[in-house]
Amino acid sequence: MKKVKRIFTYLFLSIASIISIFPFLWMLVSMTNKSVDVTQGKLLPGTHFIENVKGLFNTVDIGTALINSTIIAVITTFLTLLIGSLAGYGFEIYRSRGKDMIFNILLLSMMIPFAAIMIPLYRFFGGVSASVPFLGIDTLAAAILPTVITAFFIFFFRQNTKMFAKELVEAGRIDGLSELGIFFRIYLPTMKTTYAAAAIIAFMNSWNNYLWPLVVLQSPENQTIPLLISNLGAGYSPDYGLIMTAIVIATLPTAIVFFVMQRHFVAGMMGSVKG
Amino acid sequence: MSQVTHGTSYPSNKKSFSNKLRKNYIGWLFILLSVLGISLFYFYPMVQAFILSLKSGMGANLEFVGFENYARLFNDPTFISALTNTFIYLLVQVPAMIILALIFSVLLNDSTLKFRGFFRTAIFLPCVTSLVAYAVIFKYLFAVDGLVNKFLMDLSLISEPLDWLADPFLAKITIIIAITWRWTGYNMIFYLSALQNVDKSMYEAARIDGASSIQQFFYITIPMLKPIILFTSIVSTIGTLQLFDEVMNITNGGPGNATLSISMYIYNLSFEYTPDFGYAATVSYVIVILVVILSFIQFKVAGDRK
Amino acid sequence: MKRISKKLLFFLFLALILTLAACSGGNESGSDEGGSDGNTITAWAWDPNFNIAALELAKEKYSGEEGIELDIIENAQDDIVQKLNTGLSSGTMKGMPNIVLIEDQRAQSFLQSYPDAFYPIGDYFNKEDFASYKLPPTSLDGKQYGLPFDTGVTGLFYRTDYLEEAGFTKEDLTNITWKQYIEIGKTVKEKTGHNFLSLDPNDLGILRVMMQSAGAWYTDEEGNINLVDNEPLRLALENYKAIMEADMVKLNSDWSQYIAAFNSGDVATVPAGNWIAPSIEAEESQAGKWAVAPTPRLDIEGTVNASNQGGSSFYVLNIDGKEKAAEFLANTFGSNVEFYDELVTEVGALGTYTPAAESEAYQVENEFFGGQQLISDFSKWMEEIPQVDYGMNTYGIEDILAAEIQNYLNGKSLEDVLADAQSQAEAQFK
Repeated sequence: MKKVKRIFTYLFLSIASIISIFPFLWMLVSMTNKSVDVTQGKLLPGTHFIENVKGLFNTVDIGTALINSTIIAVITTFLTLLIGSLAGYGFEIYRSRGKDMIFNILLLSMMIPFAAIMIPLYRFFGGVSASVPFLGIDTLAAAILPTVITAFFIFFFRQNTKMFAKELVEAGRIDGLSELGIFFRIYLPTMKTTYAAAAIIAFMNSWNNYLWPLVVLQSPENQTIPLLISNLGAGYSPDYGLIMTAIVIATLPTAIVFFVMQRHFVAGMMGSVKG
Repeated sequence: MSQVTHGTSYPSNKKSFSNKLRKNYIGWLFILLSVLGISLFYFYPMVQAFILSLKSGMGANLEFVGFENYARLFNDPTFISALTNTFIYLLVQVPAMIILALIFSVLLNDSTLKFRGFFRTAIFLPCVTSLVAYAVIFKYLFAVDGLVNKFLMDLSLISEPLDWLADPFLAKITIIIAITWRWTGYNMIFYLSALQNVDKSMYEAARIDGASSIQQFFYITIPMLKPIILFTSIVSTIGTLQLFDEVMNITNGGPGNATLSISMYIYNLSFEYTPDFGYAATVSYVIVILVVILSFIQFKVAGDRK
Repeated sequence: MKRISKKLLFFLFLALILTLAACSGGNESGSDEGGSDGNTITAWAWDPNFNIAALELAKEKYSGEEGIELDIIENAQDDIVQKLNTGLSSGTMKGMPNIVLIEDQRAQSFLQSYPDAFYPIGDYFNKEDFASYKLPPTSLDGKQYGLPFDTGVTGLFYRTDYLEEAGFTKEDLTNITWKQYIEIGKTVKEKTGHNFLSLDPNDLGILRVMMQSAGAWYTDEEGNINLVDNEPLRLALENYKAIMEADMVKLNSDWSQYIAAFNSGDVATVPAGNWIAPSIEAEESQAGKWAVAPTPRLDIEGTVNASNQGGSSFYVLNIDGKEKAAEFLANTFGSNVEFYDELVTEVGALGTYTPAAESEAYQVENEFFGGQQLISDFSKWMEEIPQVDYGMNTYGIEDILAAEIQNYLNGKSLEDVLADAQSQAEAQFK
């Protein structure tokens, strides 16, 4: 009985994995094909890989885009986690009626489509440009700032803090730790898996963010990866071999972050088994 | 203030009172940055967007029209079909995806399972795909002579190819499949990370008491994960109400308006047609109102502990 | 204890500010007021193989007295539309370019939506030098705002081998009507088994091609929505239904599938703008098997065998550097025959500047298309394209029409379809 169940589990997960992975295999295969073959949905690898890579590096400045996207994503992830978890912790541990109300109001900010606030936001940064140019339009800082503080992560950390053993806070206080000390010395290490999940999501969101960088960044030296891929597909006669190559390169960093971070899920489990 | 004697006679109380006050004050410091940031980057533009929703006109030639835009919504067949479509996505897709993600995460949380890392990575991968690749691939898969039709015909499930992207009903199904494909792994991550915080001894105890794994799922996993399930369902609801990428890239709202979502309609009003930012902002506020109502219902259903 | 936490918070703030300052330090190149910075002007366009390449060439060919440095920035077309709308409507001209390429069918909506945002450049070049059909979309209230760039002059690309196999000659395809086109298609399908054309049911481009050949559009000259009493549109829709029902269409849902349909040899014809040629030529194994005939016309008085699909023009934004930008355009795209010669030979882009048509480069024979003088043919047809005012709401009306066409294909009468679309469009775009 148990064995049958096992087999079904493996079968189910295998089918799900194949469905999930298939498009990636196709992307990898397409990277080695000519544009014409890609449009015809060829499923076998070709010999055009070197040409595609060369062509890509000749037509666009993918290096700059990778550097910009990395700077933006790393800073955004770091700040998002820090600010989001501080607030999520603050709302849950120091719960009060006033804070709960503010929390509910903050949640509202998740609900408006970004397209609706984009124009006022652009106008705001236009104003900032005049007095503080290094934070204004067409700077990476402007691309980062509005995305760093989101209700999403505050909400996420608060929900996870609900599952955090609050006795640990009291224990910390008895040990003479400051409130921030408790946060950094006790909460943060305990919630490692939560931080890992948040880091994956924050990095991915930032890496793939499109609309805001699109409107706020103008010069080519500030271009990010999603903008670059969007440009490649524009034109009357796009080269799909190049596009697929660019997409694979663009996907790698998020995949790597996931690989690295997911180890903390496993580590987390080991820890809890030990404890 | 009249209780001076009271205060002096219970010095310990006074201390704990000031202690509480101090903690409360530190608590505010924890959230200060977020409150400031969100006010500046979300609420201030949201207020502006609301003012905009009271105006109408093309591009920069905006005139104040009061609530006329809101009245216009009711006589706008495109808006009504966008609203209907969005609700269909919401009711079918969100529950299906959350259940699927829960099942995956519970299966993958079993430390005796082999190839766990591989399955986890595979199922998560779709949400890191670039949208362009994802859209192109889905169009191929669901084309009339695409792989999905070939597969279904090989299995003799259908006798002739289905026109997935040009049939109003099938196109909706395609969109639902696409969203589920892309976002299930994403939700799974939240559950997997949350499962690590669940005390393993509870499962041990349940097993000793003879609870089956299905019972464990319903009586331990789901209640323990409730905060995070609530979180993902609210986020997914918001995500679906703001659904844009999939529709834009896979069906472009068609055939007719059969797959048009509210967000895509906002995009069209702002950038595809002659821009009417006032009316576009009005449609945005409809999303806000809907999400507020739905989230309220979800909070109530989940019975968020006070 | 309290002091420590305060200190920590202080350091957090400090770290935040430092990181922000650090990541913005390297980006001081942006000018303050947008647009011009001394002699540098910026231009936005979208196709590296086409209009970007044309701008690069113009930069090289510019021979004006004033030294002008052109900074070309590539963005996808949809992205440009978004950036431009966001920037212009916010009233912040910062970050806006001096020159921007806008698709003709969108131009009126920009010109009318942002009245003072564009700079009239009619005094800088002679508009009579350009194909006349380009002028209504690029001007407003008698002022010329756009400098016409590429033409979307259409042709009927066809596989000579397939047509021959079905018994048709070059003459059989020259100057035909859409009705004849459909009949030929049925025969070709029957005799060769190949589909006749590929269509995306969500893209009504072919309707626009049919309408413009009769000088009609979704709106009339006054901008009124004109669907019910629009005879060319009615005929176009009838043709469209006949094509869809004739079992000769290979449906596609994507640009790449559209291209694949002819690259793979699945379809016998491609009625499209001249810009499709490079995609056809990409499949080298089909060299010599293609030719181009004039676009089919409608069965109606006053229609010609020439039409247009796509095409765009350059606009100058009303910000610092506008005179320089206008001069730059006038000196290159606005007057330089030699520039257009190289544009055709080097970039493969066909402009709408008519004096260039006489030049040698236009007479060149294209081996891929069996030695046909492709450029010369296209530029001849280009001059015949009827003038049409695209108005403000092409895409909006088309979305309404697309939904109604679904009903039409499912059996709703044409009268009802047009009447319903008309009333919906009128309610939407007053």
